[in-house]
Amino acid sequence: MSPDVFFNQFMSGLARGALLFLVASGLSLTFGVLRVLNFAHGSLYMLGAFLCYSLWAKILLPSLGFYIATLISAIIMGAVGLIIETSILRALYKRGWPEQLLATYALILIITDLVKWQWGGQFLSVSRPRPFTGAVFVFGLPFPAYNLFVIALGLAIAIFLWWLVYRTRLGDIIRAAAHDREMVAALGIPIPWLFTWIFVLGAFIAGLSGAVAAPFGAVALGMDIEIIVECFAVVVIGGMGSLPGTLLGSFIVGQVYSFGIMYKPELALAFIFMVMAVVLIIRPWGIFGRPER
Amino acid sequence: MGNAFDREEGKILSRAAILAIAVGIGLVMPHVLSPFYLMILSEALIMSIFALSFNLLFGYMGQLSFGQAAFYGLGGYAVAMLITKAHFNFWLSLLAGVLVAAIAGLVVGYFCVRLRGIYFAILTLAFGQLLFVIIYKWHDFTGGDDGIQGVFPPGILTSPKVYYYLIFLAFLGSSYLLWRIVNSPFGYVLKAMRDNPERTEFLGINISRYQLFAFVISAALSGLAGALWAPFYRSVAPFYLMWVKSGEPVMATILGGANTFLGPVVGTFVMTFVHAYVLGFTYFWPVIMGCFILLVIFFLPGGILGFALEKFTTWRRENSGHGRGRSGSSGDKKPD
Repeated sequence: MSPDVFFNQFMSGLARGALLFLVASGLSLTFGVLRVLNFAHGSLYMLGAFLCYSLWAKILLPSLGFYIATLISAIIMGAVGLIIETSILRALYKRGWPEQLLATYALILIITDLVKWQWGGQFLSVSRPRPFTGAVFVFGLPFPAYNLFVIALGLAIAIFLWWLVYRTRLGDIIRAAAHDREMVAALGIPIPWLFTWIFVLGAFIAGLSGAVAAPFGAVALGMDIEIIVECFAVVVIGGMGSLPGTLLGSFIVGQVYSFGIMYKPELALAFIFMVMAVVLIIRPWGIFGRPER
Repeated sequence: MGNAFDREEGKILSRAAILAIAVGIGLVMPHVLSPFYLMILSEALIMSIFALSFNLLFGYMGQLSFGQAAFYGLGGYAVAMLITKAHFNFWLSLLAGVLVAAIAGLVVGYFCVRLRGIYFAILTLAFGQLLFVIIYKWHDFTGGDDGIQGVFPPGILTSPKVYYYLIFLAFLGSSYLLWRIVNSPFGYVLKAMRDNPERTEFLGINISRYQLFAFVISAALSGLAGALWAPFYRSVAPFYLMWVKSGEPVMATILGGANTFLGPVVGTFVMTFVHAYVLGFTYFWPVIMGCFILLVIFFLPGGILGFALEKFTTWRRENSGHGRGRSGSSGDKKPD
């Protein structure tokens, strides 16, 4: 493999990893605090992408339209998250996790049908926003500028979440709640309030990443399942509920996919699962995860 | 005390009577139902085998497998490929379907039984998707997204009525097998692992080995369901291995009641017949199913059969005068 081919694959793996991190970080955050695995996280992502498409097509400002559409989609998805948490999930925290999982599974079915009903089964596309339309040259090699934007956004969200979780009072509560929920409640922190806002934040990030993914590939039905399965691989490799783990997991999965697709396109996904199986054998709770109590 | 003996005997007799009636109804059905509803009934019976095999892991072992469709699909593909490409004997193909699923179950299970709870669910899902992707992308060998058509059963089995009897027999056989398994010492170990894994381990029981064994049995029976489905539907497609298909036994089981032996069957029948009915006037079946699941989770905790049995038990206890039920602990809703 020549160095430029290697570099090219590495960079596209990095972009894919950044997108995966955007989606998986919301999933991991929600799981870390609420202990609910939101199966429908990918559907929120898909809905964000479709919303972004419609808003973008409606606004159609050449340079700013996409960014406005992205922001609005993310906010709408946050609101959708608020509705889901308060109307459905909240009643199920006392139940077993299989029922919670099944409830979010039901949401997948509902959201998929809503999308099918509203947008149909066609492939939609959003053109890349300015100033990221063309290619930039990194070390003399061409690279899509939009990929750099996605990588930068992934890093920005990573830094924001790190700041939120490790440098703020809310972050203290989040980490404490992930560790011992009863103790936090005993200290007078309103747990339902915390859960609601964490879920809203997760849904907001899902909507944001869906919108950002829209110019990346096609906006179509099925993009939810594709991403959520890879996100599961990310959080299993990195460790559920761990921010550094999610970052590392996204990087690994992005690279494995990128180089795998060059080696044997049919088996790119298979390589990811092989890595996952190896990690699970050595550390069943993931690289940065903690064993279940 | 003689009373207790009478009650035990009465229970066995009433159980035998219910079974006899059910088998009688099953045998008569092809002569009563229209061809369309016979087809739906056959589908419900195949899916019941699938759901029962899932519930061996979920209800009795306490592990939720979200990749069960992979074994179902592999069973179907094995039969379809052997019949259409190798022109293999039908019965040997069925057997091969079960075997292929069991072997896949052994490999996948080897990795999965190390994990518990939600991690188990994710890993089974991931392996299921992996097998799906392999079937989907390996166009030269499996036909890729075209699937395989023209999977015909031989001779007299092409008649839907005769094939129904084969399905019915397989359903009775696998139900009996699972019933024997969950009421055997092996089944008691599974339930002990579900209720208290640490303590079971302290008793010197190798949890992983028991769980792997149960996983292989479950995969084999899911494979049987798929192997019966392929010649019934005359074709297979990659989406039989997909996670959406894996969700079906999960939904059916929780809908019917995971804590009862027949809950998965009840759930499957409700789902299959509602599905057939809803498709008559709209294509938006998933959204209806999604709302239906939410309603059951919210208003029928324990599932349809679980909820009905609980109501029935309290009703009988209130009417029998003395408060001592057989199990005594009303809070214990696990199957026993």
